[in-house]
Amino acid sequence: MVILKLLTLLTEKYNQFIRITDEIYKAIQDSNIKDGIVNVITKHTTTGIAVNESLECLESDIEDFLSRLVPEDWPYAHARMLHDYGSTAGNPTGHLKAHITGNHCHLVISDGKIVKGDAQDIFFCEFDGPAQRTILIQIIGE
Amino acid sequence: MFIDMHVHPAFFEPINNDPETENMRHSALNIHKNGTAPLQHIFNQMKCAGLDRLCLLPEDYTAQLGKPVVTNEEIKILVNSAPDKFIGFASIDPYGDNATEKLEYAFAELGLKGLKLHPARQHFYPYDEKLRPIYEICIKYNKPVIFHSGLSWEPDSYAKYARPIEFEEVVARYPKLRICLAHFGWPWVQETAMLMLKYPNVYADTALLYFDSAYEFYKKVFQQDIPATWIDRSLRHQIMFGSNNPRFEQIRMADAVSKLGFRDSTLELIKGKNALEFLQCDELTS
Repeated sequence: MVILKLLTLLTEKYNQFIRITDEIYKAIQDSNIKDGIVNVITKHTTTGIAVNESLECLESDIEDFLSRLVPEDWPYAHARMLHDYGSTAGNPTGHLKAHITGNHCHLVISDGKIVKGDAQDIFFCEFDGPAQRTILIQIIGE
Repeated sequence: MFIDMHVHPAFFEPINNDPETENMRHSALNIHKNGTAPLQHIFNQMKCAGLDRLCLLPEDYTAQLGKPVVTNEEIKILVNSAPDKFIGFASIDPYGDNATEKLEYAFAELGLKGLKLHPARQHFYPYDEKLRPIYEICIKYNKPVIFHSGLSWEPDSYAKYARPIEFEEVVARYPKLRICLAHFGWPWVQETAMLMLKYPNVYADTALLYFDSAYEFYKKVFQQDIPATWIDRSLRHQIMFGSNNPRFEQIRMADAVSKLGFRDSTLELIKGKNALEFLQCDELTS
């Protein structure tokens, strides 16, 4: 069986990490799938999905690390009018941070629960907020 | 108070109830792939940019499209939904039916705070005699006019109508009419500066971002094309912050304008005080 659910978020900051582990748990419970896999995928190119430990200090370190790798003040080519959009591309840092983070994660479901380490949590990573965002939760199993 | 004097709310969720209207707005404004924005998202964006108020501008292109892109009544709905955050302007099509009656209604009944006109898109020269009764209504109600000036990204728009020099006769003959040359008349920014220097009733907004990042483009325009000293010494009372959101980058433009090296007092004028003077609206100043 394959179940697809959508999770919509309204992010509030330019860069923001939002813990979504509980929402993924709930989607699995609602699906009644006991054994299988869950794919968590963001629909956007300036956001990411990450698995890491939910600690304020680590979230701060990750944000600082990405900001050092991808500084705001840099002569990026992706800073121009885009004809397809009719608007300015001003978010190269969001695209690059998303490229580093990746757009998805996969986790194993066993006995109706996610099999993961105690320290592991699932995060939605906003790199060009605030924005309205959609995450796909695909649950495959039986 | 930090005010964005140039916001187009065409894709705000409360006034987008059907896909047909939304699609019409995408093609009329040539803005795509942006979706609609819940008001909470707009408020989140304002918070990130440090903005206290947005001036909402509608577009009436009835003569071309058969109906306005965003109506004055829709602006009123948005203002009513957040009167502490939104300032509403009116739009009329000078070539549409009953333009003067619509404008009187927008000021007297809807309580809108000024008029937005788009010569490049609406295909008129600013001193065309058809516009004179419209300017006289604005003077009667003490309401300012924001004119699109310079390049327009919208379809069927021609910059020849909106070159800053075309506005001189209007500002000279109507000294009581406060006008804003939106987008600083880019690329003719020195013509805009020339008009502002001579005529104190001419304002300009910073809603321009046609090349590069917000900071790079602002540095080019406000430090090189126009030396920062011209603004800091002579034009400081006539420039208002504007973003032209959603076409341009409101948050990054709000950040960039603060980094151009103006005196703090100049920055305060650009961020809000000049807008209050331009609007002359008791509700905002009390």
